[in-house]
Amino acid sequence: MRRREFLKLAATSATGAVLFTGCGSIGDANPEHEFKIESPVRNPNDLLYGRDNWYATAAPLSIGGYGIIVRVFEGRAKKVEGNPDFPVNLGRSCAKAQALVQEVYHPDRIGGPLRLAGQRGSGQFQVIEWEEALGQVADLIRQAPDSTLLITEPLNGALGAIVEQFVQTTGIQHASLEPDERVVLREAMRRVFGVDTLPTLDLANARFLLSFSADFLHTWISPVQFARAYGAFRQGRPDVRGTYYHVGPRLSGTAANADRWFPVRPGAEGLVALSMAQVMLEEGLVEGEGAEPFFQALGLTPEQLGADFAPDRVADAAGLTAEQIRELAHAFAEQRPSVAIAGTSAAATTNGLFNLAAVFALNYLVGSVNSEGGLILNPASPLPDELPANRGGDPYSQWVNIAQQIAGGQIRTVLVHRANPVYSLPPASGIQDALRGAGSVVSFSSFLDETTMLADLVLPDHTALEQWGLVVPEPGPGFEIVAIQQPVVNPFVNTRAFGDVLIQIASQLGQALPWPSQEAAVRALADGLRGLGRGNVEAEQPNEYFVTMQTQGGWWDEEARAEEASPQAPTAPANPEFAGDPGQFPFYLLPFPSDSLGYGEFSHLPWLQALPEPVSTNVWGTWVELNPRTAQDIGVETGDVVRVVTPQGSAELPVYVNPAAMPDVLSVPMGQGHKAYGRYAEGRGVNPLELVAPQAERETGALAWVATRCRLELTGRRMRIARFEGQFPAFQLEEFPIIQVTRPRT
Amino acid sequence: MQRYFRLVLFAAVMLVVLAIPVAAVLARSYFLAPTAQPVKAQPIQFPHQVHVQGMGLDCTFCHRGATTSAQATIPALEFCMNCHKIVPWEGRPDLERLVEAFQSGQTIQWNKVHQLPDHVHFVHAVHLNFGFQCADCHGDVGSMGKPGVKQVRDLRMGDCLTCHQQNGARTDCSVCHY
Repeated sequence: MRRREFLKLAATSATGAVLFTGCGSIGDANPEHEFKIESPVRNPNDLLYGRDNWYATAAPLSIGGYGIIVRVFEGRAKKVEGNPDFPVNLGRSCAKAQALVQEVYHPDRIGGPLRLAGQRGSGQFQVIEWEEALGQVADLIRQAPDSTLLITEPLNGALGAIVEQFVQTTGIQHASLEPDERVVLREAMRRVFGVDTLPTLDLANARFLLSFSADFLHTWISPVQFARAYGAFRQGRPDVRGTYYHVGPRLSGTAANADRWFPVRPGAEGLVALSMAQVMLEEGLVEGEGAEPFFQALGLTPEQLGADFAPDRVADAAGLTAEQIRELAHAFAEQRPSVAIAGTSAAATTNGLFNLAAVFALNYLVGSVNSEGGLILNPASPLPDELPANRGGDPYSQWVNIAQQIAGGQIRTVLVHRANPVYSLPPASGIQDALRGAGSVVSFSSFLDETTMLADLVLPDHTALEQWGLVVPEPGPGFEIVAIQQPVVNPFVNTRAFGDVLIQIASQLGQALPWPSQEAAVRALADGLRGLGRGNVEAEQPNEYFVTMQTQGGWWDEEARAEEASPQAPTAPANPEFAGDPGQFPFYLLPFPSDSLGYGEFSHLPWLQALPEPVSTNVWGTWVELNPRTAQDIGVETGDVVRVVTPQGSAELPVYVNPAAMPDVLSVPMGQGHKAYGRYAEGRGVNPLELVAPQAERETGALAWVATRCRLELTGRRMRIARFEGQFPAFQLEEFPIIQVTRPRT
Repeated sequence: MQRYFRLVLFAAVMLVVLAIPVAAVLARSYFLAPTAQPVKAQPIQFPHQVHVQGMGLDCTFCHRGATTSAQATIPALEFCMNCHKIVPWEGRPDLERLVEAFQSGQTIQWNKVHQLPDHVHFVHAVHLNFGFQCADCHGDVGSMGKPGVKQVRDLRMGDCLTCHQQNGARTDCSVCHY
């Protein structure tokens, strides 16, 4: 082509393009879109175009059940914040609550009832009508109620009441699934303090906090409540800045906030606590009256404590020096009010219950139980009969039984609501194979998670922002409290509230529950609170009372506190046991719950996937944290892929070299490794529970997920970890030297 | 010079040709000549005249948001139907369209007559509460009949500023651009 022709052609096409653009649209394909204004069909009385509304409701129980407010704009939920009036969180919220809006508008949300249309596990479903779905579930229950099992997350409040009624009237079985460390914590609370509720901390008035592995700012029971209190503890008083020491095998985001971190061997937390107690008693740092309940809680005599738990005797086993233990004891006894807590990995060893009992019993010694600046026990639900408190989860050993019963045919129909046993229980439990062979599996999930993939019927539940509820926050703020949950938006797809579904199934079975709907149950139970004649809501008429409660976000009575506590049953000292021969498997495998994804129940939400883990700033994946010296010894650096081998299995993971990792501890975050659960979760990373040996906590039977040893094998491959920090080398400016993090000189 | 003559000529022709669509776009631009726009076609030929002059309705009877919020708001069809369920609609195509839209749950998409760009925040309530009448900006809409509503006032920034100055209102940028 000659130059002249080329120019001609170019000019013609350019002119043509410009002309067509000029004559055609402005902006998107429909040029007039932005010049339109709409007459809606219906006229909702509180909907004003261009104006937002904030509605108070409650966060799901699994993240604390605290009060939130949601910004709703033209019928769409836009933003979640903490409810400033709600005593548990006083306006604070967490990333998981913020991400609730993504659950409502998730692209992979199940749009309506489904029926399996292929092989079980194939993920092929066909859409059916609600009436048909309800009828089929009712038929399944009618055939054999006593061989039907309902699996839920731990429920309380209104939904707990509905489920309890449903289970009683239909005669089916019921099991609750929750992280096993909570099962241990509940048992520890029962034994050490004689309460069924989880505790809270009066950090705002405390001077010293000692946490044994409890990741209380990110994952441990109620991080929003504790993070707010921690702010007051550190900065809320003009003359006192609370001191916080952390004892535990991993420098978590929480531990990184501590004034000092004492790295101990996994499972040695209880040992350190007893040794501290020995120092405090022997040196007379504490008054005598706390000693009695302390010894009761542990079933020890002062002589046994002195003989077996002196710092010099336990220092090596714990991985600390005797001097460090004395230092801890002095700090704890001298800076009062002081409070000690234990959780997360401390509860997930084979001696988890002992660890928790020993640490929580320390609070007796310094007089910090139910006192200002100490550990505050929570009272039971204000209406114990009508509004059940958490019944707590079943331990791992029970799930193994359940899996065997399903496999053996004693349980034929399994109903699953807001629980994902196939993912949350290790493969060794056998639950996956059992469900695959079960007679019928019905899921009430809004997402196709691993368990729902094995379902024959799916009856999707509303999300938290679309349904009614009364929730007893867990743990509460130290007094009786109930949060009210109300739909802030209309259901986005063709789902139904789980409570409504149960009520409708019961009526198909000819057994009416006391309420016609979940909303009616909430209203009736809220009226029960009115009947108590106390609390924050001041109104006489039922309707006014309910509306006031809705606007405030709940009901609470600051006077109604827990009574005095005393130990109920002793927990004997025990040493942790680990699967795997130390010679063959030199490292401890330390899985840890992810700050944003929890135990994997939030992996489907991209906001949470993209939230950096606070220590490593890693996102969207799984990695293994390695001490720099260990990494140097075996010749790997950040980004090298290694094979982590345990007696149970192996997985390939990229290394993240963490200067704060203990030399013989390999930490792996939980939350990834989903084989289903939507586009953001699926096929990403590794679930460390697949590596964990099926060891149980000695007394409760809970899964001890920190009870496995492992070794590393090189693969020679590399991969890039998605990470915020350190992707580019620091840029040297002459006047601002780069600060190097180095090992302290010893 | 001779050598580049043809190139310069080509460039000049190209500029003229390119200028045509640009001019075409600008000439029909709402933002350059707001009051010179033809009356816009609407999905329903709504006669303001009948409702305001004939029935004696106040503007804010239908545009309910005007006194309380930023938007004057267009009424919902349900609101129209409060009266129109008893007004005979058979044989009256515009009313049939209204009833059909309401019964089938279809919204009505009106063409906006008064259009401010997104970076301008105009709050109806403030202006009405100060004492302005709707007609001060919108003209005598109540006498505009079936052909539809026409924009009578410029409503560009100069217009806003002049009026703000005359009435002692603030004229800093963040009054409207926030």
